[in-house]
Amino acid sequence: MYCVKCGVRLNEGVTACPLCRTPVWNPETKVEPTANYSARYPRPPKSKRYPILAFITILLAALCLSVLIFCLTQYGRVAWSGYVMLGVALVYFSMIFPFWFEKRHPLIFVPLAFLLTCGYLLYICLYNHGNWFLPFAFPVVMILGAITTASVALFRYGKRRRLRKTGALLVVIGCSSMLIEMFECITFGTEMFTWSLYPTCVLSLVGLFLILSGVIPPWREYLERKLFF
Amino acid sequence: MSRKWMRLDNAALIFPAIRKRRWVNVFRLSATLDAPIDPAILQAAVDDLKPRFPSMYVRLKTGLFWYYLEEIPGTPQVREDYAYPLVLMQEKELHTCCLRVVYFRNRLAVEFFHSLTDGNGGLVYLKTLTARYLERKTGARIPAGEGVLDWQDKPAPEELEDSFQKHANKYVLNDKEPAALHVRGTYEPNFLHLLTGRIPADALLEASHRYGATVTVFLAAVLAESLLQYQQTRIGRDRRRPVKITVPVNLRKLYGSRTLRNFILTLNPGVDPRMGTYTLPELCKVIGAQISAEATPQRMSGRIAANVSPQQVLPIRLAPLPVKNLVMRLVYSVRGERCGCLTLSNLGVIRLPAEMGEPVKRMEFIIGPQITYPHNCGVATWNGTTYVNFIRNIRECELERLFFARLVELGVPVHIESNDPR
Repeated sequence: MYCVKCGVRLNEGVTACPLCRTPVWNPETKVEPTANYSARYPRPPKSKRYPILAFITILLAALCLSVLIFCLTQYGRVAWSGYVMLGVALVYFSMIFPFWFEKRHPLIFVPLAFLLTCGYLLYICLYNHGNWFLPFAFPVVMILGAITTASVALFRYGKRRRLRKTGALLVVIGCSSMLIEMFECITFGTEMFTWSLYPTCVLSLVGLFLILSGVIPPWREYLERKLFF
Repeated sequence: MSRKWMRLDNAALIFPAIRKRRWVNVFRLSATLDAPIDPAILQAAVDDLKPRFPSMYVRLKTGLFWYYLEEIPGTPQVREDYAYPLVLMQEKELHTCCLRVVYFRNRLAVEFFHSLTDGNGGLVYLKTLTARYLERKTGARIPAGEGVLDWQDKPAPEELEDSFQKHANKYVLNDKEPAALHVRGTYEPNFLHLLTGRIPADALLEASHRYGATVTVFLAAVLAESLLQYQQTRIGRDRRRPVKITVPVNLRKLYGSRTLRNFILTLNPGVDPRMGTYTLPELCKVIGAQISAEATPQRMSGRIAANVSPQQVLPIRLAPLPVKNLVMRLVYSVRGERCGCLTLSNLGVIRLPAEMGEPVKRMEFIIGPQITYPHNCGVATWNGTTYVNFIRNIRECELERLFFARLVELGVPVHIESNDPR
């Protein structure tokens, strides 16, 4: 039997060419293909990652527990151990927890890290009887989280048009700095447009320049010709 | 009781240092006989050969400054083959025995950790093992010769020597090479795809002579042409890289060495597609010229010196093993695999004593994929048939398709076999 596409000879009884997957069929052959290798598979190698992760988890849990016990015995309440425990939890869930999974999907774990940061800031705000969380910390963290998640998604799942994507991201980051200053102004009563104008202007200009370079190929070629090094 | 031990040869030093949890440099040599393998007889044959091949029955041990090989207390247990060749040798196995003997139906195969020996050294072991197996099975005496050693002889000291130390030049030849194209694909864990192309040796030789090349040069040129075609259809003009085939050179022939340990060096002949297009006759000419220019005792001794000289520097020798490993990994990432697209290792025409000609139906050579490149190609010729074995750890087999289809186009008939269960 031969593959009509590759022209190579094949073993009698095979149903498809191993090279190009083109189906092969010989109505006269009754031969069953003989396997060159057994059907036995070795046990997949054990990963050393899980024992290490388990060790780190136990170590951090022990640290949290000892800090909690210390605070309870010393002050009779959670006191500063809350900061430590939640800080450890934040670091653990954003940096170590994803490694328990074979496939670490960034679109799940990046937003999760920002949500946990929100939770941590909420605790600090409530513990200190502050009123800065909802008007300032929450929107700022959400903006930063959205920008980070969007950039991860843009660059991970599409490798083309990088110039335009980078330009758009720079414009968004520039504009968001104005938003952040607006929230700062509302919450803490500071003056508007004291610092945000500089990053907004610079980043937007650079971003627009990159977008235009991506959109207009002759211009991009001209720049490449003039600026190569 | 103190066990015998030996230092790793110069080429072997790199393999334990660069091994990873999911990658170990292993190669396989196999012989297919005319009758099913009897595991008990095979085990007895493996046991018989232990005194004759002390450098094979060893395990990898860790010293403070270097790795070393230590004699194993018994012999490796023969076992049935798995669904794919070159199953990962895990650390525990390397610390037990660096050699694996497997069988499946009529085929017996030996898998070697590359620190033990190279393809030619391994072939001597496989030939002697097959001869001893047939002797035990049929009762007929097979004389030594054609690479089969007398199993009752004592090992000669020159069989165990590190020939690199002996043949290093005083002057170091240190050529920098640019990074080559690396084929990418969908990685498939816990399986290695093997594609075997059976080619009539005379047809292949005739085609090679038509282009004024040796079989190795011709195959390397066809492979380079396939890689160029692959790169042309997949990779943009700006990101194209040189196409280079890593070809191991057997130094035993150059220096008349009889060592059974590693004694090879690799060359990376190839072309840069950014300079223009190349036809097959041009590729044969360029690759042939590059190999002929480099594979001389003078040039090779300079290359050996480049590998041997760091081993002789006192501060390096005194550095603890983890530091050495780190440095070797760094050097390998810059100067090792990076400079080639894939390895094409041709053992050439395998010869056996006349008594083994009838029962031995097939002999093959398979080399495992590397860390960064997913393909490798082992070639061996036995009894008028050339076996071209492509192994890969990715799903796609576009390169193999281009290669074998091109051979067919050139009038070389190819019979394809695969271990793919699909």
